[in-house]
Amino acid sequence: MKKKIAFIAIICTLVLAGCGYDNYDEPEATLSGNIMYNGENVGLRTNGARIDLYQDGYDFSTNISVYPAHDGTYSASLFEGEYKLVFRGDAPWDTSVDTLYVMVKGHTKLDLEVKPYYIVRNESFQKGSGTVTAKFTVNKISDERELEAVNIYFGKSILTDQNQNEGVTGIEMSQVNIGSETTITASIPEELANRDYFFIRVALKISGIGDMYYTQVQKIEL
Amino acid sequence: MKTKYIKVSVIALICSILTTGCGDSWLDKDPKTIITEDQVWNNPDLIISLLANYYDRLPHLHGDFNTGGMAEIDDAMWSGTFDQNSKNDFQYGDNYGQIWEYGLIRDINLALENIEAYGDNLKEDQKKLFIGELKFQRAFVYFELVKRMGGVPLIKEQLIYDFSGDPSHVQVPRAKEEEIYDFIYEETEAIKNDLAGNNGSKSRANTYAALALQSRAMLYAGSLAKYNNLMASPITTPGGEVGMPASRANEYYEKSLTAAKTILGSSNYQLYRSNPNLGENFYDMLNTKDGNTEVIFVKDYLPILKSHYFAYDNIVRSISEDNESSSALSPSLSLVESFDYLDGTKGTLRYKDANGDYIFYDNLSDIFEGKDARLYGTVIYPGTTFKNTAVNMQAGVYVWDEETGEYRLSVTPTLGANYSDGGLWTGLDGPKDNERDVSNTGFYIRKHVTDAALASTRGTRADNWWPWFRLGEVYLNAAEAAFELGDPTAVNYINTLRERAGFPANSISNLTMDIIRNERRVELAFEDHRYHDLRRWRIAHEVWNGSNDSEDAVVYGLYPYRVVRPGHPDDGKFIYEKIRPDRFRQPRFFRMANYYASIHQNDLNNNPKLVKNPFH
Repeated sequence: MKKKIAFIAIICTLVLAGCGYDNYDEPEATLSGNIMYNGENVGLRTNGARIDLYQDGYDFSTNISVYPAHDGTYSASLFEGEYKLVFRGDAPWDTSVDTLYVMVKGHTKLDLEVKPYYIVRNESFQKGSGTVTAKFTVNKISDERELEAVNIYFGKSILTDQNQNEGVTGIEMSQVNIGSETTITASIPEELANRDYFFIRVALKISGIGDMYYTQVQKIEL
Repeated sequence: MKTKYIKVSVIALICSILTTGCGDSWLDKDPKTIITEDQVWNNPDLIISLLANYYDRLPHLHGDFNTGGMAEIDDAMWSGTFDQNSKNDFQYGDNYGQIWEYGLIRDINLALENIEAYGDNLKEDQKKLFIGELKFQRAFVYFELVKRMGGVPLIKEQLIYDFSGDPSHVQVPRAKEEEIYDFIYEETEAIKNDLAGNNGSKSRANTYAALALQSRAMLYAGSLAKYNNLMASPITTPGGEVGMPASRANEYYEKSLTAAKTILGSSNYQLYRSNPNLGENFYDMLNTKDGNTEVIFVKDYLPILKSHYFAYDNIVRSISEDNESSSALSPSLSLVESFDYLDGTKGTLRYKDANGDYIFYDNLSDIFEGKDARLYGTVIYPGTTFKNTAVNMQAGVYVWDEETGEYRLSVTPTLGANYSDGGLWTGLDGPKDNERDVSNTGFYIRKHVTDAALASTRGTRADNWWPWFRLGEVYLNAAEAAFELGDPTAVNYINTLRERAGFPANSISNLTMDIIRNERRVELAFEDHRYHDLRRWRIAHEVWNGSNDSEDAVVYGLYPYRVVRPGHPDDGKFIYEKIRPDRFRQPRFFRMANYYASIHQNDLNNNPKLVKNPFH
């Protein structure tokens, strides 16, 4: 009996101790920050825009893909060292910018300044009976591209965008004033009308780019 | 003393044998396990079996008869096993459609070099034919490469490393996109006459297969040159690896039209019209091998020896001869609605009236009455038959509740069960939401599913062939190319094709690009065209926009219900209800990055001269 217990104890210690051997320690440094324009975060679609990191000095250069979150923040766990940072195409800002060199040491913070083509500022949402009144200002930053569409997305979760939403209101382009305030009243989708709250954001479709520019998600209590 | 003598003589004997060796050739035999180059390239039988290997390896986005692939890129959803429901719940990745098929290209290049070097005893026309076939295969592979990756390294001979420590001479940069299309044109142009010896064959490339490839490739080139440059910001790379000059669009369209006209002018091919029942005729067109004048080039299958599982995967549930699988592909409502009515009206199904109330139909199939006959040949819908057996489709009953004075829908989980009034409740073939191996949309696929006996069993399997090129497509190529060139005869090609589908003569007078696109969608459904067509027209990101509101990005279904209201004139009639199948999770979302697939990192590492595709 005693032998058995000892045997079990030995096995347990072996199993619990596990294997200590590995080629590398896990990466402990981090790189994080915000993607912003003029000090304000750019809103995004989850898994939409992408940043690529490369590290030189190895045989093969494979990119490390970093997907920023919906609110324009990003973070990556990395080994310490120097990285090249590249913006990938199909993002709602000018991606033809130079490669950035980033020194990652410990917890490195780096805010990335981008240049969108159009932005939305001063957005506010006022709840009415079964409707929402949205006020916002669309500003043009660059003449390179056209503004194709403006949509208001409604969702039941904070991840609300063109793929995940419970309702969308397309705004007539004639109703959108560029440079001055636009006021739109949209009805709340049926699916959300009986909930305690929902999320809402405005998005701009810019010509030739699949991913939209979004405002930060706002929560509306019902 | 004696033993010493023997020893010496033995040593002497061995020495003499070793030093003289074998003078005659009785040990010098041809090895039985190795075939030399000399033997291969002078023996037509061996060359043909080599060609068969290459024909079999011709690439295809998902492979022919790949049910799962069709669920991702055609107008259908997956309704087979749940572990593969990712086909209804995915986004096209950056590498979707990635291909770098230089293994086959190298094999073909090697064959082309060796047949020249060794094949001295081949008859001259035979040798030309073989070279033509190899070049056809190579052009075919390059077409597959260029349509998915853009311009790729154009390698026409085997690359041999010289062991100098510097591999840069075998690292070939990408050619321009237009250069690959031009190569395909020049090659098919050069070999088309040499291939005439195969004009009796459908599974080996002949003159018309080369022209069909040329017609399709040139149509792609023309539309890429035109539509890419009409985008708000065209997809290009600075070196032209991606992006074609708009100025060349007409030239490509003309080449496509000329090739198509040559095929249409040949007496070898006619639209298949053997069956007076037009719906059955469209089905037979791909299913019948004997006397088929429609198909130009196929991947053929043989019973037992070389067969596929498409019938096993997709046969209607109650007609399946196997005890597993069936019904893995459920075509979408959007596809069914894209088949026009024969009176010329749009194909939208009328299941509700203007007030939003259900329309009561006397028979299950009445709602499909008067549709384009190709619908019957492509899709199995409620109220039709397969293999002369009626399909048993009914989602449930629409019961009148006397107490509330309202109708309600009622379904049962037991397929084939009867309702309390003694009539059918839910049919043996569903449709049933959130269920496996039964239609989830209310439709089954008929096209490509052979009706041969036991073809749906794993033991026997199906042997119907895969159509690489057929005359119906050539008509559509001609129509599109002519239309883009402003040629007024374009409409005739479309009308001819529609006549076969049961439309009256000259059913279309005012041809538009939308009509051509819709014709391609319905005529060529499930033949690996839709995905590539949407891409070359540069509308894939609009059609599959990832929106839950889109009829095309979401696969919808239409379920039939039997009305139960004893004593009322509506009793026993049928209504139809549109549904969004539970198993279809994510709307199709095609991004700009999907117009050209990414190049694999290993290939980029091997060849630093490669330029990445846009957005990757």
